[in-house]
Amino acid sequence: MIVRRPTAAVRAAAAGWLTAALLLAPWTARGADTPGITHYALDPARSSLEFTFMQAGAANKGHFKRFQVALDFSAENLAASKLDVAIEMSSSDTGDQERDDTLKGADLFAVAKFPQAHFAASQINRTAAGYEAIGKLTIRGVTRDASVPFSFRTATENGAAVGYMSGKTSVRRLDYGVGQGDWKATDQVGNDVAVSFALRLIAH
Amino acid sequence: MPVRNTEHRWGAAAQLFHWLIVVLIIVQVTLATLADDLPPGARKLALLARHKSVGITILMLVILRLLWRSLNLTPLLPDTLKPYERFLARVTHAALYVLLFAMPLSGWMMSSARGFPVSWFGFFTLPDLVPKNKSLYEALLTTHETLAWVLAAVVTLHVAAALKHHFMLRDNVLRRMLPFTTTPGPKP
Repeated sequence: MIVRRPTAAVRAAAAGWLTAALLLAPWTARGADTPGITHYALDPARSSLEFTFMQAGAANKGHFKRFQVALDFSAENLAASKLDVAIEMSSSDTGDQERDDTLKGADLFAVAKFPQAHFAASQINRTAAGYEAIGKLTIRGVTRDASVPFSFRTATENGAAVGYMSGKTSVRRLDYGVGQGDWKATDQVGNDVAVSFALRLIAH
Repeated sequence: MPVRNTEHRWGAAAQLFHWLIVVLIIVQVTLATLADDLPPGARKLALLARHKSVGITILMLVILRLLWRSLNLTPLLPDTLKPYERFLARVTHAALYVLLFAMPLSGWMMSSARGFPVSWFGFFTLPDLVPKNKSLYEALLTTHETLAWVLAAVVTLHVAAALKHHFMLRDNVLRRMLPFTTTPGPKP
């Protein structure tokens, strides 16, 4: 058996990979080493994401049963804080089977083609009332700039660090194409949809 | 034509209530029939929203109408009527009033039970009369539809009686509810 010493090229390549791995470590750890940042994940059982819309002149409510939230947050390090929300559109529930089926259909949420709505904010600012997450909101395949104001407080419950995040915003459904054909009219179903959330997040 | 009723004639206000409600009931039947033929969608929603608003309008008008009726004379029935005819006329009119309440109220309750708050033409939202409940909704849907048929039957009787008075008995009973006729007084 012939043992050969590594060639210069192999040694250089190995050193290169090692350097790259060291440089990338903080990235792959996703802020684990960023001062003060806490990673939060959703406690689905104790969180709600609701929407209120005008139907035939009266306010009607619905909510999403399935959504994911990933929050990296530090009040002292907002620059490294970020928020990511993914909503399963087929989990929308307005308490009425016929309406839910209509809502999931091609003219409105079109869940078969666009199963998820997504909000990704990499900028979080402090405001007079709390915070705002500034990012991109994608609904029904249309992406637009959006900012979502929220309040955030932390607590320790049974030794676990949790965060409570809540807020309200408004989405103009037609900006995202939610409403094709007859549903483009806003006299029966309003354009403005109020979205409110009250989330319990668990630090990990 | 005087605004108030006399012993022999319905006044302008009572006639306005009567004929306005007639027109609105025709609108209601039309909207309901059109909506019934449509699949769930924006157009059906729009028709039913109008149907609910018009229904609430009828309810408001009936309340005002009964109030007005209580503050006025009620024109007398002709002396020629037999006691059972008087009784039948009273029962028919009472049934019409009951139905004019029952129709919109059952519709309003039905919408509440479905979980759809009722708005009056988008100006204001009415409170829910009953909590959201699927089987209650289905029972009220049946009730509302059944009452519509009962109303159709009683209206038919009412119209038939009015025509009988006019063309067979040749009295003033129909004419005194018509705006553009004169009724000098009771027929001798």
